[in-house]
Amino acid sequence: MPPETITIRDKPTIKQIESLVSRLRRRQVIGAQETAHETALLLRQIVSVARFSSIEQLIQLIKSIARRLIDANPKEFAVGNIVRRVLRLIREECVAALGPSDEPSTSSPFSVPETPAYPNPPDLAAPSRPQLRATNSLATFMVMGNQRKKPLAITVKPLLIQAIQEVIDELETVYENVAKTARDHIYDGEIILTLSYSRTIEQFLKSAARDRHFTVIVAETAPSYSGRLMATALSSANIPTVLIPDSSIYPLMPRITKVILGAHAILANGGLFTQCGCALAAAAARAHSTPVVVCAGQFKLTPAWNLYHEYAALDFAGPEKVISFEEGGGGERGGEPLGVINPIYDYVKPELVDVLITNDGDHPPPYVYRLIKETYDDEDMQL
Amino acid sequence: MLSPSPSPSSAGAETEDDDQLAPLPAPPGHGQGQGTFDVVQSYRSHLSDEDLPMPIAAVAALTELVERSSAQTMSQLVHELQAGAHKLKQGTANPISLSAGCDLFVRYVTTTRQEHDDFAQHKRSLVDQGRAYAKELPTESRDKISRFALGFIQDDAVILTHSYSRVVMQALLAAHRARKRISVYVTEARPRSLGVKTVHLLERFQIPCTLILDTAVAYIMDKVDLVLVGSEAVVESGGLINAVGTAGLAVIAKDSGRPFYALVESYKFLRHFPLNQYDLPYMPTYLPLPAQHPSRAALGLQTPSLLLSRASSLASLAGSAHGTGTPMPLSPARDQPKPGATSASASTPAPGMTKEQIDQNPEVDYTRPELISLVVSDVGILTPQGVSGYLVGVFAD
Repeated sequence: MPPETITIRDKPTIKQIESLVSRLRRRQVIGAQETAHETALLLRQIVSVARFSSIEQLIQLIKSIARRLIDANPKEFAVGNIVRRVLRLIREECVAALGPSDEPSTSSPFSVPETPAYPNPPDLAAPSRPQLRATNSLATFMVMGNQRKKPLAITVKPLLIQAIQEVIDELETVYENVAKTARDHIYDGEIILTLSYSRTIEQFLKSAARDRHFTVIVAETAPSYSGRLMATALSSANIPTVLIPDSSIYPLMPRITKVILGAHAILANGGLFTQCGCALAAAAARAHSTPVVVCAGQFKLTPAWNLYHEYAALDFAGPEKVISFEEGGGGERGGEPLGVINPIYDYVKPELVDVLITNDGDHPPPYVYRLIKETYDDEDMQL
Repeated sequence: MLSPSPSPSSAGAETEDDDQLAPLPAPPGHGQGQGTFDVVQSYRSHLSDEDLPMPIAAVAALTELVERSSAQTMSQLVHELQAGAHKLKQGTANPISLSAGCDLFVRYVTTTRQEHDDFAQHKRSLVDQGRAYAKELPTESRDKISRFALGFIQDDAVILTHSYSRVVMQALLAAHRARKRISVYVTEARPRSLGVKTVHLLERFQIPCTLILDTAVAYIMDKVDLVLVGSEAVVESGGLINAVGTAGLAVIAKDSGRPFYALVESYKFLRHFPLNQYDLPYMPTYLPLPAQHPSRAALGLQTPSLLLSRASSLASLAGSAHGTGTPMPLSPARDQPKPGATSASASTPAPGMTKEQIDQNPEVDYTRPELISLVVSDVGILTPQGVSGYLVGVFAD
């Protein structure tokens, strides 16, 4: 039975939704971290103004807004990830606050019901959501205060807002948490290759530089040249840095002891969508048996597969960075029009990656499916 | 994955049961008393119902066993069930897939809490659950898998599949219905040649398809976008046990960098960890080496032939056979006449393999997990490692 659908009536919130949708569509807000943060803020706003009489209504509302955000830029996977995360927290808060729902479970008959399909061994599950435990206990405490008679929205709203706030806080501290174990991954005298600019990696290397002496080689990452930004940022932090053109990644690989890559999204099979050029570096690293390390926040774990096999370049940047209109002859040049393709992302296969360093610990790529099972609810995989 | 058609050894028993295509909820009318209930017989009759895969037929047979059982306590019932499962595994030529169903059902019965004080009532609820399971689960999981698999099939995709598999067939048809213009290469899959059936069905739905020789897989692989196979069982390592040829297909797909997806219902997940091809559960080792042949033993040639390289051993074998004048029974793999070796051309072998030669070949082989891109199952899209995680979840105490 589908619950009665509700909509947002609050004018400023509607405006906020529209604004994020159009900014996503216009690529004014890009990058996993940025979009994740904006999404979390919007969800907090939605939850605080939504008038719902059942949790199912709220979930449907959030899902319908999430679909609009995802449609606006389907390549920003972090949007969907944050929504899934928040939906899971909402369910957990409600179970904690109101007790388990009376609905019978909809599992198929005879699926060995006594044992969960994916057991969470305590030692593995514990570090993943410590903050959650705390809110759970808070929830039970509030229920004890005889608030059950009040309408649902009033009872759970503060809890939900607090849960979303925790997601936001986590996003703000994600770089520090990824960088926490940096010194365990980098040794003295290493030569590290990295590409493009990633705040996660910048923090990671800076944090490692406090204890270790190493050299960083940064590929300039044409045509965005974001590697230049990375190189200057690192050398101003007193880390010996060398900037190289992308074309010399392979010839330099024998000297390199480790490749550190950022990720745009980590897929369920352990593969990555990354800045274009990373697949090339990872393949070169494999040819020289150089370890490949990926640093990324947990919010980049995406319950998706690279459905179209090797081809990830389904998102393209403008051609002017590859060749400007004037250089290409503009409208005056005769002959065939020049085609320019400037893909943004690469797909790096899971077998090319040795370890994923997240704010939730270090994991091998084949383990990602399990992290995803633990982080999101099955029913939210398809938003 | 294999069709319900009987293996050669059980052919006789199967044909007798053909008139008993009773729909599942009603027990087949054997008219036998409780004491003489034959679980293997019941399994076969369930199997001949076209839509029941082997593990589910096993569940149906064991459900019937519970129904007819006179056990008064849980321990008696479990004991009977285990005996029945054992009998089923013994009574069939290829019990790999079936045993996954047996294990699952026994596990279910042992872990279900008794809600009623009355044991007979508890037994009845077990039977109801078992029936519901056998009736709904195969279609339900296949629907789910074909929905999952749809995402992996692009428009204009060229797909290679092996032999016949119901779940692969359903996935292909789902893609076809979703207006994806797929074309399919199907291996013949000797010795059972079920690929012919696949092609026949695909043609009926007007999906462009081509039947290829098992030996032409490497030839065609460069034209293929992805490989989809079904499976008889998925083992704990995440590897597959499937119609012979699958392992070779996977090796070739890996070599060409093509994604290799296995579509498997979760009731085919088997708690077994084979270490190599010859470590399959319940299966005898096939293809004996000619070194074990009595006439070879008499010549006393095993030791040198092991030490020598293959080419020179062949030459020396041919030479010694020629020298002694003894007719050498050579193995099928080595009976190619070598240029210059005169002894081999003495008798021209008949074209095609003899029945004995085919019979000593395996029916199934084991595909290592590292060759498999993903296992698409009704419990989700799993990496091969994910299978063991799932199995531990179901069977761990």
